[in-house]
Amino acid sequence: MASEKLLSEQVTKQTLPSQASQNSLAKASTIPSELILQIFKYVTSTADLKSCILVCKSWCRCGVELLWHKPVFTGYGSLIKLLVTLSRSTQTFPYALLIRRLNFSFLGEHVSDEILKRLSSCERLERLTLGGCRRLTDNGLLKLLDKADGLVALDVSDIENLTDAVVELVGERCRRLQGLNVSLCKKVSDKGILAVASKCRSLRRIKLSSCDIITDESVVILAKNCPHLLELDLTNCNQITNDAIQPVFENCTQLRELRLACCTKLTDESFTETMPALYEQLRILDLTSCALITDQTLLKIAHSAPKLRNLVLAKCGNITDEGVYHITRLGKHLHYLHLGHCSRITDHSITHLARHCTRLRYLDLACCTQLTDASVFELSHLPKLRRIGLVKCALITDQAIYALIENRVVQHTLERVHLSYCVNLTVPAVLELVNSCFRLTHLSLTGVPAFLRPEVQQFCRQAPKEFTPHQRQVFCVFSGKGVKDLKQYLNSTVIAQQRNNRIANGVGNINDQVVGPVAAVSADIEESVVSEAEGVGGDISEGGEGENENRHSQNDNRNRNRVSDRNPEGEDGDVGNALLDF
Amino acid sequence: MTSESSEGKKVTLKSCDDVEFKVEIPVASRSILLKNMIEDVGETDQSIPLPNVNEKVLKKVLEWCQHHVNDPQPTNDDDDSRRRNTEIDDWDQRFLNVEQDMLFEIILAANYLDIKPLLDIGCKTVANMIKGKSPEEIRNTFNIVNDFTPEEEEQIRKENEWAEDR
Repeated sequence: MASEKLLSEQVTKQTLPSQASQNSLAKASTIPSELILQIFKYVTSTADLKSCILVCKSWCRCGVELLWHKPVFTGYGSLIKLLVTLSRSTQTFPYALLIRRLNFSFLGEHVSDEILKRLSSCERLERLTLGGCRRLTDNGLLKLLDKADGLVALDVSDIENLTDAVVELVGERCRRLQGLNVSLCKKVSDKGILAVASKCRSLRRIKLSSCDIITDESVVILAKNCPHLLELDLTNCNQITNDAIQPVFENCTQLRELRLACCTKLTDESFTETMPALYEQLRILDLTSCALITDQTLLKIAHSAPKLRNLVLAKCGNITDEGVYHITRLGKHLHYLHLGHCSRITDHSITHLARHCTRLRYLDLACCTQLTDASVFELSHLPKLRRIGLVKCALITDQAIYALIENRVVQHTLERVHLSYCVNLTVPAVLELVNSCFRLTHLSLTGVPAFLRPEVQQFCRQAPKEFTPHQRQVFCVFSGKGVKDLKQYLNSTVIAQQRNNRIANGVGNINDQVVGPVAAVSADIEESVVSEAEGVGGDISEGGEGENENRHSQNDNRNRNRVSDRNPEGEDGDVGNALLDF
Repeated sequence: MTSESSEGKKVTLKSCDDVEFKVEIPVASRSILLKNMIEDVGETDQSIPLPNVNEKVLKKVLEWCQHHVNDPQPTNDDDDSRRRNTEIDDWDQRFLNVEQDMLFEIILAANYLDIKPLLDIGCKTVANMIKGKSPEEIRNTFNIVNDFTPEEEEQIRKENEWAEDR
């Protein structure tokens, strides 16, 4: 009853303001609703918006749609309250129909089938994000999706109970679907994907990461039916062969992002034989552990996709200097390069890379064991370098660290530095690094003997739960506040040491190497907000060898917009390496 | 005197209370409405009447256009980024430090004249005045009459109880 009264007044009310504002000065109450709506778009807090809708009827009508468009929950309790509203017999507004977007990822296992069933009246859903709601089953999902004709994006990643039945229903109902994420739904097979591919022709993004029972058949149909594909993630779909890749290149000319990590059957043929001469839109290519590919693939890619921005070649063990030379053709377009475990690479190609790809922001060279200080000298000129990974580049010495800072280039940009198992490093060099790189928020020194002391390790973050006692012993990763604490501690001990030296050696006989870092303290600690996920590339899990890699890259997707100080443990290369090692 | 010849062509705008303003075309063109009009009409000595804007408000709006004459034209696709950013630069903040009625007049004029960046900062300013206030405080701030019946108000409060403070 109340609803009718409120809604019926809408028409008469709305005509008033414009007339009133003609002569007298404007008042808030005379502002037309279209402008009230504009104002409300800047009222970003849910609580403030709720206050607005309680001000008066016209504000209520304007605000209620915004408030319910994408309900933001503070927790499970507020979700329950919303469900209570939806079950009321009289509602002031048809609330269920106002809901367009729902994101329950952060509620994880709290989300049950029962909750989804109670939301089945939300027939106008456009975006539904349920990634990681692992308690869900087909039961709840089928009920919620049965009327979701307008669904545009669906994320059901990491719901292990989900079967083809849900994916088939999506194909049947959601013809406008543009984005589908079924990563880690290991029961999804070709049957489900075929249904989606044949019905949802406007599909743009599909993530099938770790759907390891799907075969070439799915990919071929997707490629043929969905020519608008922008993003295709086949990470860990290890049945995929060269035959699947050809139709992708042939049909999906707009593809921007192609992830083929751990599609271990792929060979050069996938690229050299079938990639068009010009495949211009491609920006992100992940070939982690496609161990059969060789420099020939890189030659082809560098020509066909000249604007490639992110390239992941971790554990492509056949790649040599020649391949890296090919890559340098990408020049300033290349921002992100992962060459971890490409152990054939030497200083020659890295030197060339540093001189040509001058906009590199992220570079991982973990386990490129032939690299020496010479490579680091060159990389220290990269003006945008934010993250450098040198885990297990054991030939590297303090000289490399001093070089990094000396040029006064990367010290302004470096945020994350991975030096685990660079066993030659000493405290003075690392301290100087920490003192000069004021944006540094992550520093890993696992297995570096000079740092394996309790008084230093007290500032490092906790080792992942699954680590053995020995792994814990050598674990040494500093992030966020830990970096600041480490810096403070080392500086104070160096000063103390200096004083001791003075007493021992007499004044005026101070070791130069000790003075250096202290002088550099002046650059005060700056609060640096790191957005690690710069661009799309940030979510590639570093190092690439952690057992939990997939789950973490899922997490990263979800958290992409949050401050990344609290990275999930095990995300960075060191942890993975440590796992491999012991 | 100096600017007449060197600063290029001008256009005359007429407020609803019949006051004329001679304005350089780039300044007037901050308004998409005027920009399109000028492009359509071509060179003309006739003044453009603006029946929805009075002298006081027009003067204020033109002051803004003058100050921002060299800003890049806003594009349509950065809608979201504008929304996320609730900050207002210092000059604009001082510029909008006016009586509330004038603030709403500026918003109405910016809407009518299609000056998106000005409309945005106007709306942001009002939104900032709402932040952290209770419904009653908002009513008092903007002099708005509560036209709900107590029952209606109570029901809406209950229905939206889920929307809590973070």
